[in-house]
Amino acid sequence: MLTTTSRTRPVNALGSAAVILTLLLSSGCNELNVPDFNNLDLGDLETNPTPAKIAQAAQGMLIGARVQVGEQNGYVSLLGILGRESYNFDPADPRFITEMLIGPLDGGSPAFGGNLFELPYRNIRNGNTLLGAVDAVAGLTDEQREATRGFVKTIQALDYLDVINTRDDLGAPIDVNQDPTGEPAPIATKEEVFDHIVQLLDEGSAHLQAGGSSFPFGLSDGFANFTTPASFLTFNRALKARVEVYRGNYAAALEALDASFLDPGAPLTFGAYHSYSTRSGDLQNQLFDPTGRAILAHPSIITDAQLRPNGALDARTSKVTPLAEPRTVQGITTDLVFTIYQSNIAPIPIIRNEELILLRAEANLGLNNLTAALDDIDFIRERSGGLAPYSGPVTQSALLDELLYNKRYSLLFEGGHRWIDARRYGRLDKLPKAVSTHNVISRFPFPEAECLAREQAPPEGCG
Amino acid sequence: MRKVGSLLLFSLLALGTVSDALAQRLVTGRIASTETNEPLAGASVVVIGSALGTYTADDGSYSLSVPQDSVTLRVRRLGYKGRDIPLPAGRTSADVALERDVLQLEAQIVTGQATTIERRNLANAVALVNGADVNRVPQASVENALQGKVAGAVIQTNSGAPGGGVQVRLRGITSINASSDPLYVVDGIVMSNVAIPSNQNAITRAASGSNPSLDQDAQVNRIADLVPGDMETVEVLKGAAASAIYGSRAANGVVLITTRRGRPGAPQFNVTQRFGWSELSNTLGSRQFNSVDEAVDVWGPAAANFFQSGRVFDHERELADRKPLLSETGLDVSGGNENTRYYASGLVKHDGGIIANTGYDKQSLRLNLDQRFGSRVDVGLSTNLIRTKAQRGLTNNDNASVSFYMVFPATPSFVDLQPDADGIYPCNPFVGNCSNPLQTAALMTNDETVWRYVSGARIVYQAIESPSHSLRISASGGADYFAQDNNLIFPPELNFEPSDGEPGTILLSNSNNLDVTVSGNVVYGYRPASGSFRATTSIGGGYADRDLDIARITSRNIVGGRSIVGTGTNVQAIEQRQRVKTGSIFAQEEFLFLNERALLTAGINADQSSVNGDDGKLFFYPKVSGSYRLLKPFGGLDELKLRAAYGEAGNQPLFGQKFTPLTITQNINGLPGIVTQGTVGSPGLEPERQREIEAGLDATFSGGRATLELTAFRKSVTNLLLQRTLAPSSGFELEIFNGGKLRTQGVEAGLGVVPVRTDDLQWISRATFFVTRSKIIDLPVPTFRTGGFGTALGAYEIEEGASATQIVGNDTLPDGTPVVRKIGDATPDFNMSFANEVTFKGFHLYGLVDWQRGSDLINLTKFLYDLGQNSADFATPVVVGGETTTAGARRLELFGRQTAVYLEDASFVKLREVTLSYELPSSTVARLLGGKVDRARLSVSGRNLLTFTDYDGLDPEVSNFGNQNIARNIDVAPFPPSRSFWFSLEVGF
Repeated sequence: MLTTTSRTRPVNALGSAAVILTLLLSSGCNELNVPDFNNLDLGDLETNPTPAKIAQAAQGMLIGARVQVGEQNGYVSLLGILGRESYNFDPADPRFITEMLIGPLDGGSPAFGGNLFELPYRNIRNGNTLLGAVDAVAGLTDEQREATRGFVKTIQALDYLDVINTRDDLGAPIDVNQDPTGEPAPIATKEEVFDHIVQLLDEGSAHLQAGGSSFPFGLSDGFANFTTPASFLTFNRALKARVEVYRGNYAAALEALDASFLDPGAPLTFGAYHSYSTRSGDLQNQLFDPTGRAILAHPSIITDAQLRPNGALDARTSKVTPLAEPRTVQGITTDLVFTIYQSNIAPIPIIRNEELILLRAEANLGLNNLTAALDDIDFIRERSGGLAPYSGPVTQSALLDELLYNKRYSLLFEGGHRWIDARRYGRLDKLPKAVSTHNVISRFPFPEAECLAREQAPPEGCG
Repeated sequence: MRKVGSLLLFSLLALGTVSDALAQRLVTGRIASTETNEPLAGASVVVIGSALGTYTADDGSYSLSVPQDSVTLRVRRLGYKGRDIPLPAGRTSADVALERDVLQLEAQIVTGQATTIERRNLANAVALVNGADVNRVPQASVENALQGKVAGAVIQTNSGAPGGGVQVRLRGITSINASSDPLYVVDGIVMSNVAIPSNQNAITRAASGSNPSLDQDAQVNRIADLVPGDMETVEVLKGAAASAIYGSRAANGVVLITTRRGRPGAPQFNVTQRFGWSELSNTLGSRQFNSVDEAVDVWGPAAANFFQSGRVFDHERELADRKPLLSETGLDVSGGNENTRYYASGLVKHDGGIIANTGYDKQSLRLNLDQRFGSRVDVGLSTNLIRTKAQRGLTNNDNASVSFYMVFPATPSFVDLQPDADGIYPCNPFVGNCSNPLQTAALMTNDETVWRYVSGARIVYQAIESPSHSLRISASGGADYFAQDNNLIFPPELNFEPSDGEPGTILLSNSNNLDVTVSGNVVYGYRPASGSFRATTSIGGGYADRDLDIARITSRNIVGGRSIVGTGTNVQAIEQRQRVKTGSIFAQEEFLFLNERALLTAGINADQSSVNGDDGKLFFYPKVSGSYRLLKPFGGLDELKLRAAYGEAGNQPLFGQKFTPLTITQNINGLPGIVTQGTVGSPGLEPERQREIEAGLDATFSGGRATLELTAFRKSVTNLLLQRTLAPSSGFELEIFNGGKLRTQGVEAGLGVVPVRTDDLQWISRATFFVTRSKIIDLPVPTFRTGGFGTALGAYEIEEGASATQIVGNDTLPDGTPVVRKIGDATPDFNMSFANEVTFKGFHLYGLVDWQRGSDLINLTKFLYDLGQNSADFATPVVVGGETTTAGARRLELFGRQTAVYLEDASFVKLREVTLSYELPSSTVARLLGGKVDRARLSVSGRNLLTFTDYDGLDPEVSNFGNQNIARNIDVAPFPPSRSFWFSLEVGF
């Protein structure tokens, strides 16, 4: 019953109110701090580095260098499409055809080339953060610091190379270590970027030579042959050889090749790779697509192949295999899929012995050492393709055709070699077009975000 | 905070002397309905200005001891208009008849965390939906039950998938990047509405495409778990002017749900049994091929092996071929005495799905208990245990050719996908991975199971109650805990499973969420002896803690065909945890004066939160409002209320936004690595701030037979949580910061009419109308796009001076120059709804029509069909510039140059709800069901029976990315829609 009224005591009421208020205020105020449960804070690595964090950040460089490579819209796949090595028939996204084969490329599509800009720069930034932390950390020997610096700069050079390979004559920014919210770095020319890559590789080389006998961190399986500063230096020199060939410094290329891991006696597959595994937290190679759901091979791989003495096709055509039924999308038909990556943990080459031999041939050809060039070309023809020695005219231009044929088949679908080489020698217009409205695109534009940051003075390559 | 303390002290010291009531008399009487003279049980009878009060018994009778002096009794019952009855000294009986309040003129509306006011005085346009309106037709999710019932609320499902996934957007756009959801508060406990993706992305790889959003899993926002049958009222505070007291969590409005509680008297049982079915309500159709040449032309030479003239398969209907049973059994019981009241309910619900292995189940148990200790202390307890299981199928965007409606566009109508005599499903020869949706549906599992326990307690101490003073101290606390298990199984037998070299995939996600709410309030009311005004002062504080932990395991290459993740060889584990702590204090003053005609309210909330850059900093959210009632200002008008309100509210940063993160969850060959994520956090991050002003009028006509509510509002949101795009060459891509301003304004109208009201026939008609427009006023970053898949496929673009929901796409100027420009807008021109309710003798007919006009939608499902040259109208001849081509070829030709060819008008008129019921006469009830049964009702009802739209897709209510601030209205391979039919029997005894 609600019917009794008793005398109220304001003091009690006040007391109860005070107790409640006190409880409330004490429960709230001071304990609202919640950390980021899921990530490490950048400041923690910058201001509080330890040898263990340095090691993990160094290993992170290999993760950062790999992230854009093996995706279905990654470096190998997109450059493969541009160079008419591969197709992507993903029914969910027609732009693998409309943009990549017809064009123009849209700087506003992050998945169609923006990733090939943003992700290498992100890793270059990783490297810069790490270089700062290496200077600041206590507990590493000078040799360990040098070894780490040499490793970081070499990987950064690889990232710059991915950037300039996709942007080509647009050039690219070099000075990454800017305040990200401030003015963007100026865009350097392609030549300046190559200079910077060579500089990084040479500085890396010096660091590695002062780096003692071991790295203070681990390297992935793909670097199994380059686990010491000394052996890693041969990878550094191999990259340098590629860059020197790209910029036409053939003598310097030969010099670098001498210090690289080039070895005709070693397997052609000997080299450095991006590795994958099914460990939790690791990545898998998305180029593995055995049923050709999305990734298919270009039919010209079969039709352009040379014949072996027994009448069979160039042995390197075994990198593709026919499907039961041909597939047709947007007027393009193919019945080939790749067999290069035979599982989702198959490694993807960064640079390997076969390329180095072909680079030596290319450098010699550039220096007009036709015999030396032909020796290496024939070596690859026979070892890799099962072909007879070259029998055509021994002229610089004929041998160049032959060299590019061999680079195409030897390095098929490993990193856009055919597209890059065709561009370097002005042969993009010779690449096949399945449909007359198709075009061959020579470079990716700058991503829209980069252009927005440069609205004051938009560089070429910004819509 | 000291200031708040001194305010409290002041209020308490201001108390005058407290009167004693000595001599008493006993008053008795009966409370009944004016219309039927039926007794009203559970009506409250209180002596105004005292703690004296009681409830009526089953026969409507009451007895109450009151002071000898002249007093006034206030008689109230939910759903009826209250009455104040003067009781002169010496009178000992008072019978009172109450009139039904069909237009809810006198409902009590919550104005603070512990105060209410009568709707007639309220200075805000708060929408009130009562339990009966929520439960007219069974629905998958409670938000569906509010569709078309709240002016200013756009409530849309994201797809037809069973079990929920519905967005409630109150008064337009209020944010770009922060939360888009209203705050849901059930009996004082904050309920989580988080939408946790199922991780189906691990199989669809939707996020690997050009939009990396993980919100493409057709996730369910968890408010779907609530049981509509338990709801007594739902109040919708639509913006800061009404919701300021909830501080930095209230910018998107607040939905306050009050559950049913016991009424004194003998136990009252209600049993509801419903049965029904649902069926596919729309299909897209696909191209019919007339010759083998036509087939080969599109599908390549392989088509010749499959094409047979005249053989056509309707794959959509083969997939969604079911008319599943729907059933719902509900039981509730309520009763008690003046000291102890209880309400208990149970529900078992089963909705079959139109596609194999889809559907929705819900079971719930609730107990609400109220206990009075002595005359001054009331304790209320609420507990609710819920289990839901949604089987969601496999829909929405993908990049792996597995989602049902991603495969159909690449599948010609002449291919037979049905299993052979041995039950073996054929490879779909035109999809690289052989994906056969009929097989996928038959063999896969996508189950989301939630166990949820919500419990809260509230204690109210009526410290002082006298004619002049009242002091009420209350404390409440409670927790909402749920565990959500997502179990997705794709067995190795699926045609597409070997295509990644790892046959069989099992995905397991375990998510745990705990929301804890604690609050305390002190409310002091003062009314001078003259009765010239009433002042209500309340102060209080609260603490809220939300802790969400999601652990996911992806397991591929399955051995042995069991459903445990340990059977895979490629096992990936990830965990994401977030926790948000928010503390707040508030004070509010309500001043009711001029004979209860004028109300002035002012209040302020201050809160601090762990997600702000400075977790110790207090942010203040004031509000002020006023209303004035004019009685019979001119002919025909009973009452006209003018009102205006202003308030501020916040929208918190998201967890983690203040940090610059380095990823620590990746490795290469087992070597752990640290890498940057590309986002720069802002250590000074603050909540977004919304300032809302609303003004309006409420008019009552014709003796309460008609009401009109008109409201105009304007919300300005500043300090937006924006993402600044950085030059990627810096190694970072995004910076989160506060800035900019957006403005949303609009008009709402609500009309309620009782055109006919006789003893036998009553007709109640309600209509709502609203318009909202949002505009970006200030944008300190360059125009940016949000949502969508790039401009070629349509995207939302945030641009200074433009509508917040503008859709941009590629277009071509007459001279051939390609441009990106606005091609549409997702905000509707207007929304309207019409609800009509006719009661004739025992019959009751109700219908609700929901009308949206002029909202644009990007139909990418159609685009996918066009890409496959497989749209139903693909080969339809059209003439363009004198040349004959086909409709599909023309669209494809324009693709990339004119995105508008895939932009469609999403206007619709939907018949949301229809019910015809028959209340059996009590004599019949007694004869058929025995004397113990009080009432029985039979009904036939339907939901979403009819849709009128020009939209070419499955359903104009669609969102591939789930609940979104901006980027709804993107149609990518959604779950097909269905309509449902129900038969119900309700019995009360």
